[in-house]
Amino acid sequence: MAATTAWLSPPSRTELIENLVSGVDRYNPSNVGILEDYLYHQIRSEEYDCLANLAILKLYQFNPDLFNPDVVINILLKALTAEPFPDFNLCISLLDDRPPNSALDEPDPLPTLLPLLMNLYNLLHQCRFSAFWVLYRSDELEVIRENYTVECAGFEDAIREVAARSVRATFTRINSERLGTYVDLTGPELEAWVAKQRWTFDSSTGVVSIPPNPDNQIESVVIQEHIKLPQLSKVISHTVQVK
Amino acid sequence: MAHQRVALWAAEPDLDDINDTDVDIPIPMPSSTNEMYDDPNLQLDEGSLQAMQQHIAQQAAFAQIPDVVKRFIVHFHQAVLDNNLQEVTLAYESGWTRLTEKYYAKTEWPEAETIAPLVNDDQIFLILYRELYYRHVYSRLQPNVDDRFHSYENSCELFNYLLNSDGPVLLSLPANWLWDIIDEFIYQFQSFALFRSRPASKTDDELTMLGSEGGAQAWSSYSVLNVLYSLIQKSRANEWLKARAEGKSDEEIEEIVGEYGTKPLYRMLGYFSIIGLLRVHVLLGDFTLALKVMENVGLGQKAPFTAPTAVHVSTAYHAGVCYFMLRRIPDAARVFTGVLTWVMRARQYHTRSYQYDQINKTADRMYALLALCHVLAPTRLDDNVMNIVRERYGDQIGRMGRGEEGLSTFEELFLYACPKFICANSPPYDDPTALASMLIPPTPTSPSSQNPSVVLGDPTQRHLRAASSHFMSLTPVSSLKSLLKLYTSLDAKKLTGFLDTSGAGVDEEEVLSWMMVMKNAGRCVGRVNTGSTAANGEKDSDEGSRPSESLLSGEWMSISDLNFVIDQNMVHIAESTVGRRYAGWFIRNSEHAARVLDSVKASPLPPRIAPTQVQKKSADGPKGEGAPRTTGQKVAWGGVKVA
Repeated sequence: MAATTAWLSPPSRTELIENLVSGVDRYNPSNVGILEDYLYHQIRSEEYDCLANLAILKLYQFNPDLFNPDVVINILLKALTAEPFPDFNLCISLLDDRPPNSALDEPDPLPTLLPLLMNLYNLLHQCRFSAFWVLYRSDELEVIRENYTVECAGFEDAIREVAARSVRATFTRINSERLGTYVDLTGPELEAWVAKQRWTFDSSTGVVSIPPNPDNQIESVVIQEHIKLPQLSKVISHTVQVK
Repeated sequence: MAHQRVALWAAEPDLDDINDTDVDIPIPMPSSTNEMYDDPNLQLDEGSLQAMQQHIAQQAAFAQIPDVVKRFIVHFHQAVLDNNLQEVTLAYESGWTRLTEKYYAKTEWPEAETIAPLVNDDQIFLILYRELYYRHVYSRLQPNVDDRFHSYENSCELFNYLLNSDGPVLLSLPANWLWDIIDEFIYQFQSFALFRSRPASKTDDELTMLGSEGGAQAWSSYSVLNVLYSLIQKSRANEWLKARAEGKSDEEIEEIVGEYGTKPLYRMLGYFSIIGLLRVHVLLGDFTLALKVMENVGLGQKAPFTAPTAVHVSTAYHAGVCYFMLRRIPDAARVFTGVLTWVMRARQYHTRSYQYDQINKTADRMYALLALCHVLAPTRLDDNVMNIVRERYGDQIGRMGRGEEGLSTFEELFLYACPKFICANSPPYDDPTALASMLIPPTPTSPSSQNPSVVLGDPTQRHLRAASSHFMSLTPVSSLKSLLKLYTSLDAKKLTGFLDTSGAGVDEEEVLSWMMVMKNAGRCVGRVNTGSTAANGEKDSDEGSRPSESLLSGEWMSISDLNFVIDQNMVHIAESTVGRRYAGWFIRNSEHAARVLDSVKASPLPPRIAPTQVQKKSADGPKGEGAPRTTGQKVAWGGVKVA
């Protein structure tokens, strides 16, 4: 199963959205409402559709008066959970400069929040998970926590999933405390989470074992040449001809 | 004098070109010439004076046109009228460039109005002529704001004519020209976007023009996209490509594409518009959409017809940039390498046309991007292209491999190689106060800071930051790699100790983060290709890529040859090596030897020098291998016979 199939067209996407994303209708500004509703649906039900969110950002790019910073922040938060896919960067690429919009009722929160979000992203990308949680729980990010992630169902679990992906690839066995700092869980919660991941938790030694997967089984490989018969056909046929 | 003036008027058909728009009094008929001298018609007097002056100027300009040029224009026009594709191609490719070099290297070609009499005011031809005229202005000279607006209007007229006439147009233009039309259209759009995003240095005139109603409409992203999408839809290019891929018969294809799609003009325009869309989306920063529109085209070199080289080069460059920004480095590298090898081979067949310089410049940028790819995801590509890259960018690659100090080199190369991204919207020219507040210099941002403050300004800077952050996250990887290569198993604490050479307090947690980053960097999504030669020794997925598979799909693949795993605190390392590859070399050389042998045997025997020698030759003939040795001293393939 191609790794990107789900990313390209998530099973949760309806046909209406599919048409919007793949067709010319995506440029129609009046469709922005449909896509925004879909985004909120994603937020509430723990789904994620990258291309549809990018379509929203593109509409904002062309129609700056439609710009809604809350939507943008939600999209960026969702993109954070998609590591290691490059979604966050793609979203940033589409965030054009726009003239100061006086049509908004409240001051635009984006310019202040964006650096914080980028910090979060950098930490995730550099696999500094414990630092991520520290920053996330700090006072600075209270605004994000209060207003945005609290609505986003399963945000923290999704971040834990990101950490789990990295850990799964790198470790065969890992200290449970260390794992706890990576996912910001302790004690029985940690054990429950580990069980959900189907890793084994050895409570006596406090070590979590990760079952083998293609990434954490290593072996030394010597890449040999693989000569196929068709490659030799010309040479062989020529010798036959000559004789 | 008055009589003379009247006579000229009556003969002049395009009086509407008078620049003086204050004249709303209709041009009086010759019978009312006496009223000209009255006061209310004083403006009219100026208007008529200007018209006459203009006409005189035009005639003077007309007289200045060299005869060669006049003949060329007439000939060109005739060829276009006759739909004589060969003649048009000849005129377009060699005639135009030759005359430009000779007469118009530093100035503009004569205006369309001036040469109008030569072509009997054929509007269609004049539109095409203007297209060439403005292209010349943009490439050799500096277009001013008037030029920009006029070229936009001209393009609109051209596309209007192509798309909105009743039924397909009976023009027949060479593929080169069609590609240049699309390419230039997008280039002018890009140029205008860059021009308007810099409000600081505009004169007042320019500001008013940009702020006006027409100014906001000109070169708007929506209209550009509209043109491209309309061309694609009218010619049903996507359906055509799909039908071809599925191997439908010609009749079925004709049915599918409708009357527009069967005409080569529209078919080529449709195909080129798809590529154009790819480029526009890349310029606007939407990389996934760019790859999505290329779904039916694919990236192989098998274009459905002999497309100009520039098309392939442009496609590959932009697709590669998309993959690069999507962090799918092996895909990007593969695309670049493929097209660069092809360009190198095909270089001698190019005419010194307008496209030649473009191709070279794009190729240079691709080399630079390949160097960046190599730094981010080093693979073992030891072929001609990589050698050239190493030649040109060897020390930059070295500097970038040394960690943080390489950041400025990385940025430099990226800024050189990336396309000139544009902003979809213009600064608010229609709102002077907003514009003024924009001009207040923002707080300076250094692009190399790791925690950038928000300046969503220049789009290139944004993309640069995205790429740089990726680069920065990979900086520890190279030192880690060199250390890990020396061990099969290593304790994490020891590793920390090694890395802590500067005593900067690198703690174990940080090292572990680096290890995870390295592990992540060692895998990325890549396109699975059954025909690919870069076997990484890992899962060789033979599920294959059907030609209809999207360019965005891919599998997780490992691109690093140094694999490791951490068992609590112990790091186990395994390195994969490549066995000696000799088969390819031998096969190639045996085939070459066989060809040489065949050519020698086929060549006529040298004239009789002496009877004895001739006898030896005929005896040795059937033995094959012995022939070269006896017939001539020139054959140098002695080594092969040993095998």
